[in-house]
Amino acid sequence: MTVETVVMAFVIGLMLGGLYSAISIGLSLIFGVIRVINFAQGGFLMLAAYSSFWLWKFFRIDPYLSLVIVGPLFFVFGYAVQHWLIRPIFIREKALVVEPLGALLLTVGLDLVMANLALFFFGSEYRAVVSPFAFTTISLGFLEINFTRFFVFLMAFIITGGLYLLLNNTEMGMAIRSVGQNREAAALCGINVYRTYDLSFGIGIVAVALAAASFIPFIPVSPAMGGHLGIKSFIVVVLGGLGSIPGALIGGIILGVVESVGSLFVPGTTAYILSFVLFIIILLFRPKGIMGVLGS
Amino acid sequence: MVNHRSDLTKKVGGFTKPRAPLGLWMVGAVFFLFLIIPFFVRSPYSLHIFIMVFYFAFLGTAWNLVSMAGQLSLGHAALLGIGGYTSTLLFMEWGLTPWLGMLVGACVGGIIGGIIAYPAFRLRGPYFALTSIAFAEILRLYVENTEIGPFGIPLKAAMGLLVPLRGHAPAVFQFENKEAYYYIALLMMFVAVTICYLICRSRMGFYLAAIRSDQDAGEALGINSTKYKLMAMVISSALTALGGSFYAQYFFIINPDRAMGLAMSIEIATVGVMGGWQTVLGPTIGSILLTPTSELMRAYLGGATAGLDLMIYGLLIIIVVLFLPNGINDPLMRLVRRLEAHVPKTKIRAEKDTE
Repeated sequence: MTVETVVMAFVIGLMLGGLYSAISIGLSLIFGVIRVINFAQGGFLMLAAYSSFWLWKFFRIDPYLSLVIVGPLFFVFGYAVQHWLIRPIFIREKALVVEPLGALLLTVGLDLVMANLALFFFGSEYRAVVSPFAFTTISLGFLEINFTRFFVFLMAFIITGGLYLLLNNTEMGMAIRSVGQNREAAALCGINVYRTYDLSFGIGIVAVALAAASFIPFIPVSPAMGGHLGIKSFIVVVLGGLGSIPGALIGGIILGVVESVGSLFVPGTTAYILSFVLFIIILLFRPKGIMGVLGS
Repeated sequence: MVNHRSDLTKKVGGFTKPRAPLGLWMVGAVFFLFLIIPFFVRSPYSLHIFIMVFYFAFLGTAWNLVSMAGQLSLGHAALLGIGGYTSTLLFMEWGLTPWLGMLVGACVGGIIGGIIAYPAFRLRGPYFALTSIAFAEILRLYVENTEIGPFGIPLKAAMGLLVPLRGHAPAVFQFENKEAYYYIALLMMFVAVTICYLICRSRMGFYLAAIRSDQDAGEALGINSTKYKLMAMVISSALTALGGSFYAQYFFIINPDRAMGLAMSIEIATVGVMGGWQTVLGPTIGSILLTPTSELMRAYLGGATAGLDLMIYGLLIIIVVLFLPNGINDPLMRLVRRLEAHVPKTKIRAEKDTE
């Protein structure tokens, strides 16, 4: 094994990690504000990927261009789901618990419905777009990176940066952060907590939809993709710290690098176990994650 | 020794409604009906549906023990798979009868369940739900892609294990008629429900109730919440692993996709949630309603409608969470109470609310 192989695996891991980060940021934002793990995140991801695919298939809209359509569309979708389905549970249980298990369960049901509706209507086959950038590469000395993969890596930073600006520089962002810190105090200051939930959920879904539209040039679309990538994003958010957006970015990159470099030393299937072991170690020794904000 | 139980029951009894034995009589009558059904129902397919009803009631009740501690498990299929693989591998490799193999499987399942849950149970928040689903999916992926596991264990990848057939051999848990499986499944359901009932009546049951309604208040009273959550999980895992061995011996095949897949975890959870989670009889009622529907749907709609059953499960979960947060059990119990109101008051024996 040469140094070059390791460096190459490391860079591939970085790109893969960018993908993991991009799909996890929205999940972390939603948890940070609403305190509910959105198990339907994978379902939203899969539907966004399908939307982007169909836009390409029927209207020949390039996946990268479809970002501007899929983003707003999924904001409305996420907002509506939170407003009509999850909000009633909060209103019903607000006196009882801070983190209602009912809401968690509801998102599980939602994910099942989304994944199986897709299976029912689209079938289980894999569908792929043909992107003009599929064979474009960026040269970095001795190694070449595929442009489409680099774009997703970049997307993770764009989403993080966008959220940073949104959360720090706008009134809505301030409302979201204050609800995330202390919902009672925020309500006392006159913030409409439930509306903030709707908005944050919508924004979290936009983040995952943007990630989906930007990775479909190299990941084929299928109904099962949500489940597979959803599990990865659960590991990422725990790794980085539930509710932390920079944590999701760093956690994703660490997971990608560990998987990629790890598979140089152990067979591919054992690398799956590796990511789970990492997850358990974090829970045992640093439960608030790398960039933990728990309890704050 | 002081009898804590009667002590506590008396105290708690003051806060809960006195309960007539009517509900218990009804449960007994239904159980008796189940006991004599094989004398009237002969068709193997009908018996198969009953077996599945008992089986999922058993799994749902085991699953429910974890939710009694206020935790949501979305990965119980992993424990089922561990139990089934353990007993089948022991039988294939060493010829150990699955009757013993299933006990070994239950021990392995209980230990692994405890180890997996421990890090999450020390924490607050949705960590256990995340751990359970991640563990099950990663175990399934691993087994699906591993021909020969560590120590040369022949996991046979996605193909799964075939239980070597011995014909009608009760000594190795193989029967040619459905009646035997019927009574074994019924017994398993009965045992699981009894265990759940006894736990709910015991000190541990009160602790679990305290933990799930307010963990801080419970801890302030000196309850070691990690310990009791862990105990619930270990018992639940061991029972589920036992169910895995039954699965292997009943179908003679166990493969990662079905026995460890997310669909199985969801089926178990849906049965529990629909009937009324955190209740003793909820999963049984859920299974009586849900399992025949899904079995018939599978039989008549077949493979033409991929994913339809899971879609319906998803819809049911959403509907139950939104409109019947305590499950079907809730309106049923209210009905029983209204019937009880017609029973003359003198006959009502004060007893702890067990529902």
